[in-house]
Amino acid sequence: MLLGTLIYGFVNSAILALLAMGFNLTFGISGVANFAYGAVYIFSGFSAWIFLNTLGFPYVVAVLAAILLAGLMGLAIYFGVILRIKGMPLSEVMATFGLGLAIMELFRYFDFVGFRYTLPVFFDGSLSIGDVYIDYQRIIIGLIAVGLTAALYLFTNHTRTGLALRAIAQDERSALTFGIDPDLVGGLSMAIGCALAAIAAVVILPLGTIAVEGGYEVLINALAVCIVGGLGSTVGILVASVLIGYSQTFTANYLEPHWMMLVSLIAIAIVLVVKPSGLFSHQKELEERI
Amino acid sequence: MGGRDMTAQAPLLRVSNLTKTFGGVTAVSNLDFELPEGKLLGVIGPNGSGKTTLVNLITGFTRPVAGRIEFRGRDVTGWPPHRVVGEGISRTFQMVRPFYQLPAYKNLIVPLYSPRVKKLTGGRYGDRSAVALDLLEEVGFERDAYVSYKKAGALPQGYLKRLELAKAMALRPDLIILDELFSGLSLAEVASIVPIIEKLKHQGKTIIMIEHRLKELFRIADGVLVLNYGRKIAEGLAAEVMKSPAVRDAYLGSEGD
Repeated sequence: MLLGTLIYGFVNSAILALLAMGFNLTFGISGVANFAYGAVYIFSGFSAWIFLNTLGFPYVVAVLAAILLAGLMGLAIYFGVILRIKGMPLSEVMATFGLGLAIMELFRYFDFVGFRYTLPVFFDGSLSIGDVYIDYQRIIIGLIAVGLTAALYLFTNHTRTGLALRAIAQDERSALTFGIDPDLVGGLSMAIGCALAAIAAVVILPLGTIAVEGGYEVLINALAVCIVGGLGSTVGILVASVLIGYSQTFTANYLEPHWMMLVSLIAIAIVLVVKPSGLFSHQKELEERI
Repeated sequence: MGGRDMTAQAPLLRVSNLTKTFGGVTAVSNLDFELPEGKLLGVIGPNGSGKTTLVNLITGFTRPVAGRIEFRGRDVTGWPPHRVVGEGISRTFQMVRPFYQLPAYKNLIVPLYSPRVKKLTGGRYGDRSAVALDLLEEVGFERDAYVSYKKAGALPQGYLKRLELAKAMALRPDLIILDELFSGLSLAEVASIVPIIEKLKHQGKTIIMIEHRLKELFRIADGVLVLNYGRKIAEGLAAEVMKSPAVRDAYLGSEGD
């Protein structure tokens, strides 16, 4: 039981890290909290499903198309909505949350409900570690979470664009004096964030069905990880994913499975009381704002 | 500029009828001045006289309600900051704004990647880290010392001010605007930065210095512009300007003589 809990806890942590990565990246760079994030995740799941089943695309093409579409959607959200209200955080939250509601509930309206909405796993099958069975998909989730984290680290630390992104995240005014176009960077951060949501969707959704409610859950989990870790902090979201991931799995295995969702909410509440800026955040102003 | 030796050439920067209001407060009012290439203009005035607003107007951080800013004959009024800098205007901030999480030398890699530097070098800059370290040495970071590799957030104020200057220099600007670069520095630190600014002047850079440290400013300035309540109350050579009763009244009078 313990070995199983440890392994599945790791997978759960990887899932949380994947879910939070895109939300965190967009916020860290452009300061926009994209509350349509869960909707983009669900949208990507359904679009991959449509590409596969309605349009008959090969699997790889369908997945890449869904990721690309999410990126374009991010650009559209930034230039269509965010740009008009940039710098007004409350308006940004309300506008993106409203947009997310509209997207998700449209899917419900058009009857995208039911068990037939599932995405295929990458490889079928499972292997056993000791007496614990684990399917390949969960192993792939772990690998992709680690791989994406490494890729993002290399991108932000060793490329020219990455440096520009870090610069504008650390001091927007200074970055402006260096000829960095804030709207280009903002749009890019939104596009990458949404594309990461799509990657998370096509990797994680094969474990269950694509359901509109899942979008709200994804947003809450992403928020929990980001708030606990400290918005904008990459180390923070990794640590927070592991903390919350293992707490959820231990809760599910040793207490009650349906208490799992409570873990994120309690974690948010505790951190907001104890250290509102999150465990690893540099953003002192957040502490002052709350 | 009204100074005798500054009227010969066509101006690099021409500001005309520039006005900026915040709510009911007029921060800059009907301001006119010209700055010829290669000259150093000091802008002085009491706190709240509109000096930093003027910097923000020229560099695009705030838009004027009226008036015009021309740089090399081109109208740059109301351009956003990242476009203004492309024309060759760089600035420092009064409260230093480094990228605190990046090492000092990496702070300079960011401007070295800017579209302007790329254009000027034709995309062939070679080793940017080496260029960044050279720049840091130029502003007084010790060569081969660990300090250049320290995170900017861990640097003392003196180094941060030097880094701020180096960031503005890295863009290879034609006009550098220094917003109270000397504030918060010791006499010795100011004395060590003055030669760096003189060197920039010798390289043909045009410079605007917002400054409260008048003694040091007057030693290097070609002309002085005095603001009070957003209006120009005097302009000319330092010695002449300081004789003006209006200036003594507005500016020096408040310092108690």
